[in-house]
This record gives sequence, structure tokens and C-alpha cells, in this order.
Amino acid sequence: MRYTALTLLSCLILAGCATTQLAPVTTGDFIFEDDEKRLWLRAEEEQDVLNNSGLIYEDEELDVYLKEIAKKIQPPEVFEHIPFEIKVIESPYLNAFAFPTGVIYLHTGILARMDNEAQLATLLAHEMIHSTHRHAVKQFRNIKNMTAFLATVQVTIGTLGVYGDIASLLGTIGTLGAVTGYSRKHETEADMEGLKRIVEAGYDPAEAPKLFMHLKEELEEEKRKEPFFFGTHPRLKERIQNCETFLETEYRGQRGGIKNSETFLKKIDKLILDNACLDLKLGRFKIAERGAAKYLSIGGNDPKAYCLLGEICRQRDEEGDREKAEEYYQRAISLDPVYPDAHKGMGLIYYKENKTILAKKSLQTYLSLSPQASDRAYIEEYIRNCGEGEKQ
Amino acid sequence: MKRYLLIVLLFVVGCAAWVKVGGLYKSKPHNFSVELPSGWMRLNTRDRLYITRDGVLLQNIMIERLNIEKPLEHTKKKFSKDMLPQEVAEVVLDNISADQTVLNFEVVENIPARISGFPGFKVVFTYKNKDGLKLKSISYGFVTNEWFYGIRYTAAHRYYFDKDLKTFERVFESFKLIKIA
Repeated sequence: MRYTALTLLSCLILAGCATTQLAPVTTGDFIFEDDEKRLWLRAEEEQDVLNNSGLIYEDEELDVYLKEIAKKIQPPEVFEHIPFEIKVIESPYLNAFAFPTGVIYLHTGILARMDNEAQLATLLAHEMIHSTHRHAVKQFRNIKNMTAFLATVQVTIGTLGVYGDIASLLGTIGTLGAVTGYSRKHETEADMEGLKRIVEAGYDPAEAPKLFMHLKEELEEEKRKEPFFFGTHPRLKERIQNCETFLETEYRGQRGGIKNSETFLKKIDKLILDNACLDLKLGRFKIAERGAAKYLSIGGNDPKAYCLLGEICRQRDEEGDREKAEEYYQRAISLDPVYPDAHKGMGLIYYKENKTILAKKSLQTYLSLSPQASDRAYIEEYIRNCGEGEKQ
Repeated sequence: MKRYLLIVLLFVVGCAAWVKVGGLYKSKPHNFSVELPSGWMRLNTRDRLYITRDGVLLQNIMIERLNIEKPLEHTKKKFSKDMLPQEVAEVVLDNISADQTVLNFEVVENIPARISGFPGFKVVFTYKNKDGLKLKSISYGFVTNEWFYGIRYTAAHRYYFDKDLKTFERVFESFKLIKIA
């Protein structure tokens, strides 16, 4: 009994003394510690849940591109210790997070808001620093009372409302990276060290604060508190300030560098449109509209994007929206007369306006172009109703 | 202030009890009546009624009445009086699929339906919860005046769903509005 008590006491002392002064994996004296190994195993279990959730955005070309950027940011020897992998989550919310294992998850929402590769590199470099500088294990060693920590996490999730959804999917490690954030000290380190990495990789550091500014503007417009990526990190304003001060001191006078706007936008154009559809599902009409417009500005005329703009206006149904929706649907039809959804959109507008002849014609066209339409039963009912009292 | 409100709420929720049901159930404040199966348990919340036999996580029938102005949980979209049943269904589905704890969400069927004489929708969908359990749901709904009414049956896809499907159909058939404006 006495020995058990002594062993327990020793364990507690040892656990309490476990140092948080761990060298980054980028240094030569890196030792993969036992508790870190356990943390990695747990992280892998959490990653499995996410990877099998149906939330992973599938785009092989984009995955290859993201990996290429990651390889520009960190040298090959770092990849030997941390096999970085970048995955994209189908979520329009602005977030990105890293597991200690080097698996980084970027939401479609945050990618869709970026202008160029330099901004993407800024975000990736930040997340990579969390892994290379072993912030997760440091943070866990710092937490003397795990129960209290878990309780805090639960309270935080509870107050996040809809943003807490994804947190409940993640385990403790994912929640640390994605929701509660690391300590302010670690976040600042990730910002500053990340900036050094992107400068060394040849990217334009002046793009870093622009990424944060973009996001700040959008969050203000949505009248939301800063969620996730900014949640308990240094407040966004302060972050922009830190970033600018750092550029003014460490990289004074240094301007220019790789931006790669065109390549970047080409690689993510499909994602931008898909993300706009997700924003529409969330009823974030303005953001969805902006996404569709951004897609059009990259790829030129695409009936799918015009049709999406039509859907946004039709579903929002505020003053002047029906007219705008009609214009967008007609634009889509003029670009591709056999694009079915635009005919359906027109048909629904006519149907609601009781223009039964026009409605019937558009809806019949829709069904003839899309015979397997999942909403066929509704459309057939509208067509039957149009037949009963024909007008216009 | 918020803390006290939370404590009061916790007490209220703590007091809400499951009661055994069976036979005609009338909810005047929610303006509907329905025949509930014998031996099931019922729980009422402000906008919803839940009944279950094997436990809510395995199978339940939920009847809800929501004011169309009331914000939904996962989408900013709202119901409106002049929506077509298909549009009402879309809002319901968007609200469910935007919940990020609803995984591998798939719509199996989405068709027009009559609910207590009102034009509405019937959607069948499957999804997995965060523990990997596959669930199947049938959801009926319609909007009349200021209100959205929904009747939904959800159960574990294997074994439980088929077991109580007929019971749900009887509950659905018996659903009526008490006063029609």
C-alpha cells in the first residue's frame, strides 16, 4: 500500500515536472517523447472520425497543389519527422486547424476568401508551426487539471452555437487546435515563425496581414464574434498589428515576393463555387452571392454560376430579387440552353406569379432536360396545377 | 443575470419528465391532436413533443410547431407563408444538413404530401451521428399561416427503423390541427 502511494506520488511529481521547454522538430536535438507518442495516437483516432465523416472535400488536383505549397514552406528534413498532409473540410465557416501529427484541415470557407498563394502559405505556415513547435504536447503538459480543461472546452463549445457543431465531432486534441485555440503565446509564435517561413520560401509577407484584414471585414459584416481561427487567439486586430510591426522591424523595406494569384485562383475556382452553394444552404445570401461573383470573375461565363446567383436571389426573395433572379436564369440559359436548373428556376418564378403557361413551358423543359430529376414529383404537380387554370 | 437564467433553465429541464402515453393527445397551445401509441414515453419541450419506446437515441417520433419567424438552428433561412411545399422541404433539409454533427447525409426521397389536408412534403433521409450510428428519418411538414408543423420519425437504420415504421404511419395519419384559420 505504502509503495503504491509512493509510486503514485512519484508519478504525479514527474507529470507535474514534465517540461514544456521542448525543442522544435526543426532542431537537431529532437526527441519524440512518450507522452507525445500517445498524443499522436489519440490524434490519429480523431482524424479518422473526421476523414470518414463525409465532410472531406474531394479534389485530387487541389490536394496535390496544397501539398506542393506545404513543401515550399518546410524543408524535406522536417517532413521526415512530421509527414504534413493537408485536407479540406466542406464547411463555409472560417477555420483551419492542425493536429500535432501534421495533418492540417482547412475549411472551404477560409480558402474561398483568399486572394492568392501567399495568403494560403501564411495560413499553412501558421498551422505547420503548431506542429513543428509541438504546441499540443506543450499545452497538454501545461494543463495540470485535465478535468478542469475538459470542462472549459465543453463550456466553450456550448457557447459557440452552430460553430460548436464541428467541435463536438472532434476529440480533445482537435478541439484544442480548432476551437479553443492554443495559448496566446503559442499563437503569436505560430504567427511570427510562420511569417519567417513564408519569407524564406519567397512569398510576399505583405499579404499576411491582408488575409487577416479580409477575414476581419467579413466577420464584422456578419456581425459575429471572431470564431475558431481567431477565437481565443490574439484578437484579430491585435494580430494584424503584430504582423505589421513584425514586418516593419524584421523585414523593414522588404517588399515583393511570390503572390501567384492567378495559379491559386485557378486551382480553387471550383471550390469557390461549391463553397458558395454551402453558404446558400446556410442562408448566408450575401456571402454566397460574393462567392459566385468571385468565381465568375476568375472563370468567365459559366451557366452554373449564373444559375446559382439566380437561386440566391429567388430564395432570398427581397425587393427586386425576383427580377434579378430572372436575369441570372436567362443569362444561364443564353449561355447553355440545355442547362436544366435555370429552366426550373424560371418555371418556379412564373408559377408563383401565376403565369401558368410560361411556368408550364419552363417546367416541362426542365423535366425533358433532366428526366431523372430528384424533384420530379413536385414539378409534375406544378405542371398539373398549371393545366387547371391557364393564364399567360 | 445570464448565470441565474441558466440555473433556472437547468431546473426546468431537470423537472421535465417522461410520461407514459397512449390514445388521443391534444395540445391546445400547439393547436394539434394526435393518437399516440400505447406504452411509449412522451416528453414535451416548448416547441416539440417527443415520444419513444426504446430510447430517443435509438428511435423517436417528434412533432414540432415553429413560428415561421423563429430562427432555425443551423441555417439562417426562414420559412415564409407563400413558400411552395418543395421550398419548405428545402429549408428543413438545409437546416439538417448544415448541422455538422449530421454526417454522410443523404436524401432518399423528397416528394409532395398531404398532411391533415394541407399541402406539404415528405422527405426520407439517412445520416450517421458522430458515433457512427446510421439513422434513417421520415419527415413530413407544411406551413400554414404563421406556423410550420413537422412530424418526423427517426430510428437506427438497422432493425429499429422497420420495427416502428407502421406505428409512425398510424401516428402520422391521426395528426390533425384543432383550429384551422
